[in-house]
Amino acid sequence: MKIVVPVKLVPDTSADKRIDPATKRLVRTGVETVLNPFDEYAIEAALQVKEKAGGEATVTIVTMAPESGKEVVRKALAMGADDAVLLSDAGCAGSDVWDTAFALAALIKKNGFDLVICGTQSTDAGTGELPGALAEYLGVPGLTYARTLELDGTTVRVERETDAGYLKISAPLPALVSVTKSINEPRYPSLKGIMGAKKKTIAALALADLALGRPIGGDGAKTELLALADPPVRGKARIVEAADGAEGARIIVEFLREKKLI
Amino acid sequence: MRDVIVYIEHTAGKPRRVSLECVSEAKEIAAALGGAVHAVVLGKGARAAAEVLAAYPVARIHLSEDADVDAFLLDPQIDYLEAVARGAGPSLVLVPNTMIGRDVGSRLAARLEAGLTSDIVAWSVADGVVACVSPKLGGLTITTCAFKSDYGVAAVRPNAFKAVTGAGGGEVVELEKPAGKTYLIRIEDEVVEAAGELGVEEASTVVSGGRGMGGPEPFKTILKDLAEAFGGAVGASRAAVDAGWISHGHQVGQTGKTIGPQLYFAVGISGAIQHKVGMRTAGTIVAINKDGTVPIGEFADLVVVGDLFQIVPELTKSVKEIAAAHS
Repeated sequence: MKIVVPVKLVPDTSADKRIDPATKRLVRTGVETVLNPFDEYAIEAALQVKEKAGGEATVTIVTMAPESGKEVVRKALAMGADDAVLLSDAGCAGSDVWDTAFALAALIKKNGFDLVICGTQSTDAGTGELPGALAEYLGVPGLTYARTLELDGTTVRVERETDAGYLKISAPLPALVSVTKSINEPRYPSLKGIMGAKKKTIAALALADLALGRPIGGDGAKTELLALADPPVRGKARIVEAADGAEGARIIVEFLREKKLI
Repeated sequence: MRDVIVYIEHTAGKPRRVSLECVSEAKEIAAALGGAVHAVVLGKGARAAAEVLAAYPVARIHLSEDADVDAFLLDPQIDYLEAVARGAGPSLVLVPNTMIGRDVGSRLAARLEAGLTSDIVAWSVADGVVACVSPKLGGLTITTCAFKSDYGVAAVRPNAFKAVTGAGGGEVVELEKPAGKTYLIRIEDEVVEAAGELGVEEASTVVSGGRGMGGPEPFKTILKDLAEAFGGAVGASRAAVDAGWISHGHQVGQTGKTIGPQLYFAVGISGAIQHKVGMRTAGTIVAINKDGTVPIGEFADLVVVGDLFQIVPELTKSVKEIAAAHS
């Protein structure tokens, strides 16, 4: 059984990011690149499926990233994934969700798969649109927002989170599942895992290897960024001490009246 | 692009408010493009939802109560939407920026080879090209993205636009079942844990609690009461969710939901960057904290320093009294 986990490399989530006003790009200097935190839940879910399945099951990490991303991907291998494939090509620059899904689908199909497990969203763009688009391009059932994941022979069963509770859904393999952070607690790489990861294979492919038949990146993108603007400036907060509950409530009510919110 | 197609998310025939907001805004976009507004409403209750939609400015309401829509996840809906979009020709499809809306939008965009813009709060039309404005990177920057594709899909942020009734024609069209399709994702059961509760993404007021709540109880009592007084939803910081005090669906922030309600209460939340990026585009932010020096002071509008366990119930009481006086 081949399990594939697509991941994304994102700027460190605890860093306060800023946009360079001159280049209108995210300032990456001094901001570490990390594995998208949501993807760690997907890796953990994949490892648990593998451990239960035993035998021939493998977990492959795939990502679209520059070759410098190899060391970040190694963390996923240190957690226990078997190998990784990087799609590294200057032609990927400027890819939007559509391009990324299209190219990753081609990569995943080329390598073969039974089950694709991904995180729900990334912490940088955070659109949460990749899993659905990827399922479409792979041509397989997409079971999104899974908070549980069970494999029963060749049927995958998940509890899909909804705003009001959850749905119990199932589909035959091959399939794609996106997992929420309720599903598990990702493991930390062990020392043995970290040492072992150094010997694992991280293959790098170029766009030409995928024969996509159409451009992606800036040339293929379906949307064009016209402008970046600073968010509206918030005035300094009014900070008021409240001696008791009634005073606190009165301060807030007055403030909300001023703002015409009540 | 000429026509604007709105995917209607509904609960048992009651359209979600964000879908009515989408329909209302679709009228303006369609007017700028010189096209018409279509609504697509599917599954059990579609007919009842269509009756609600009749009061809104929609030219055509496409509906189907096909049992497959409720028996299988998403895929039948995508087929119906695709059929309506292909029928209308190059068009803009609006979906709500909710869990289901994003799921529908991403698949439909892949089918239509359409550009996708998410979390839109404003738009413009120039020379027949639609551009969408969305906050990105947790509100760090506001982007304007234009569609380069024939079809476009935009996920619309709840509360960014107003739901306005109006005449539109409201011709009801029964959709034909797409031929030759088999569906694989079977819905075996639906478990409702929080019936009738608004999600944090959709509520116009969100009352969030953090570490300062001290345990799960206040989320079910004082925060819930305050949220209800505003007709809003209860949210939470990562600290509260990780402590197991409330489920992940309520989490606001980097590893939770990014929201932009009109009014946001941060109760016992210090305002770490991971939280900030999920809510800083809210209209008005009120923090209640025992410490006046917490980081949330840097991006809140009002910080009340005091005992939240006293202030929140008093505030609920006042808000209810004001609401009662107005009704």
